[in-house]
Amino acid sequence: MTKALIDVKAGEKVDIFLINAGFKAHNFLADLGIHEGEKVRVVKNDYGPIIVEVKKTRVAIGRGLAKKILVR
Amino acid sequence: MCKNMVFRNCHSTKRKNKKKQKLKKCKRNYYASKKHSIEHVIGFLGNPNVGKSSLFNELTGSHQHIGNWPGKTVEKKEGHFILADEYFSVVDLPGTYSLSGRSDEEIITEEFIVQERPDLVCVIADAMRLERTLYLALQAFELTDKVAIIVNMIDVAEKHNLEINRKKLENSLGVPVILVSALRDSSLIELKKFIYDALHTDKYHFHPAKIFYSDKIEGLIRKISEQIEDRKVLKEYPTRWIAIKLLEEDNWIKSELAKEFDLDILLKTLEEIKEKEKINPKVEIAKTKYSGLHTIVTQSVKGDIEFKETLSDKIDKIVLHPIFGYPILVLIYALFFFISFSISSPIIDGMSYLLNLFAEYIRSVMIQSSSPEIITSFVVDGVISGISAFLLFLPLIIVFYTLVAIMEDSGYLARSAYLMDRFMSKFGLQGTAFLSIVMGFGCNAAGILATRIIKNPKDRIRMIVSLSFIPCAATLGVIAFITGIFFAPWKASLIMLGLYAFSIFLTLISSSILRLFMEKEDPLPLILEMPEYRKPILKNIYYLTWSRAGVFVKKAGTFIFSASIFIWILSNLPYNVSPEFTILGYLGKVFSFVTYPLMGLSWEMIAPLVFGVAAKETIIVALGVIYASGDLKSVLLNLWTFPQVISFLLFQLTYAPCFPTIAAVKSETNSNKWALFSILWPLFLTTLITTIVYQILNLII
Ligand SMILES: Nc1nc2c(ncn2[C@@H]2O[C@H](COP(=O)(O)OP(=O)(O)OP(=O)(O)O)[C@@H](O)[C@H]2O)c(=O)[nH]1
Ligand SMILES: [Mg+2]
Repeated sequence: MTKALIDVKAGEKVDIFLINAGFKAHNFLADLGIHEGEKVRVVKNDYGPIIVEVKKTRVAIGRGLAKKILVR
Repeated sequence: MCKNMVFRNCHSTKRKNKKKQKLKKCKRNYYASKKHSIEHVIGFLGNPNVGKSSLFNELTGSHQHIGNWPGKTVEKKEGHFILADEYFSVVDLPGTYSLSGRSDEEIITEEFIVQERPDLVCVIADAMRLERTLYLALQAFELTDKVAIIVNMIDVAEKHNLEINRKKLENSLGVPVILVSALRDSSLIELKKFIYDALHTDKYHFHPAKIFYSDKIEGLIRKISEQIEDRKVLKEYPTRWIAIKLLEEDNWIKSELAKEFDLDILLKTLEEIKEKEKINPKVEIAKTKYSGLHTIVTQSVKGDIEFKETLSDKIDKIVLHPIFGYPILVLIYALFFFISFSISSPIIDGMSYLLNLFAEYIRSVMIQSSSPEIITSFVVDGVISGISAFLLFLPLIIVFYTLVAIMEDSGYLARSAYLMDRFMSKFGLQGTAFLSIVMGFGCNAAGILATRIIKNPKDRIRMIVSLSFIPCAATLGVIAFITGIFFAPWKASLIMLGLYAFSIFLTLISSSILRLFMEKEDPLPLILEMPEYRKPILKNIYYLTWSRAGVFVKKAGTFIFSASIFIWILSNLPYNVSPEFTILGYLGKVFSFVTYPLMGLSWEMIAPLVFGVAAKETIIVALGVIYASGDLKSVLLNLWTFPQVISFLLFQLTYAPCFPTIAAVKSETNSNKWALFSILWPLFLTTLITTIVYQILNLII
């Protein structure tokens, strides 16, 4: 079942399935290791940017962008 | 997933250009050090926050030099250390996550590696985030063989019972690896020896692991490579690297190659293949590198825990809390400003007292030696007061930058950007823009330098020209003085707060208005790493503060000084007449034809603001000179009406940037047009708003 990253609760670990972002954002995410096929864990998702854990680092992602990242 | 990828150590061809290198080295020696016969150049490369600067500071100590990369606004930090009578020049490259995003920082790094041919490129990695921080090393491997890996923060890894097998890492990466901690003295000695050995002995080998991508990607790389093999442009760069960059749609590579080749056909086939196969080469390439790294890291690291809530996570639960986060933010910044002003103001008062004594002493000496009156005035009121204006500015700047460095080093700065992002995005800005506003409160010019962290070029320009709506520390002095005369203390503080809020509002509105007139580009949403909280290292704070204050001194020092001389000429010639009949007086009167009917600002009120363009702190002094009769406070209290007071406060708050700020706008945008705009735009907007307020007040009262 796919859903947007923004709908994932804190603590859940998901597989990135599709990133629908603009060219620059897509590239930047890939350089940070956030790309299709990678697992990320949502650390914080309440108000403001969503924070995910990927490769032992915490990355904040704007909510608008988090809507365009599909996970399962 | 990565069946097609193989990691293999490749025996590199012997370094070409040996001769060229030698020649270059001789030249370097000649300039750098005549004493040491051998000189080595070492580049430090790494992700943000891996401890690059900490290691750099430890290695080079006070032998540092900060400048700019030619033609770019990126800082260039160079230092050196000497070992066994050899000279090791170290370049601290700007922190980046990759070598493919095409920011100025990344171009500089690539050019440095390829064109300056450093003897060694040290990629600094973080023991706790090996996969992420080694990604850059794999990219560097595609550019050069001479790479060594410094795994930093080993103390933290030990605390977490993480065992990193250095030998295994070395074998799979194919280049020298050392494990260090910037906090340990022993690491430092080891590191120096490591660098020395890497350059001198055959203890280490440089056969960087070569990355092979999927068949499709490799096919494309081969296809491109064949076409560009014999090229005249970009000759120093490896062919394979160029091919990869072209696949990643690197604009710079595209435009360079287009000078020689007709790329249209090639790019079209690329597009078609991408469409047909549904691949995004850039993402594929990154993925392959990361999956290779994953294998390497899991093989060489023991004791790795899948996921653990760190102390930072726990702190963030409170600091980034949707409700409590904001009061904490306000508290921290209130404390920040309170400390910067309360530490610096006694120092400034003391310095001001001494400088006055000095000026009067010189005056009396000059009078005694019967030098002409105009010369005495020029020296004392022009030159010395110019130097004083500049010196008096330093304490606040230094204290302010120290505090910013502490916030930055501790990790809170990134948190405040996070918290402010939602608010800032309403005005089309990222949370990171908040930091430049904070810096702007100390000094607008400093805030403009801080906009470098804003990734989108257009967002950055909007912020640069909007920043002069922020009242700097000097403007605060004027506000405090004027409100202190006319209002009871509690009213004065309320008005002060109101003016601050109003100026932040204006800054954001200005940015929003400008956005309407700029063509929209692919907006880059917030993507920001949240570093772990760390106890700041004193040495880092010290060097960070001095390097920033140093840049400010260089940039603004001469400017403030010459502006003071200029203002002396305006306000003293013709000599020995009352202020009304000086050049400045006439200028003020010309301006007041417009400003008096609109905003109630008479020539006596406008003329000091001309001074203010040089440096805002001179406004009060200028008021004193112009209203020369008696005590300034009681004179103003009698002469200015309430609407005039409000009008003056509002107008001086944002009417124009000072000279150093204009200089910063020019150097950061590389454009005279924007510099001119940064003067006219605030003048226009401020006049408009002040006029409306003044006219309304006049109607009511
Ligand atoms: N525990 C520990 N902390 C370290 C070590 N090295 C650096 N730090 C801390 O890590 C943080 C980042 O260090 P910097 O030297 O500023 O990192 P940088 O790579 O220069 O970062 P950028 O300039 O942002 O690219 C600071 O808070 C340092 O105090 C280390 O070996 N051990
Ligand atoms: Mg640094």
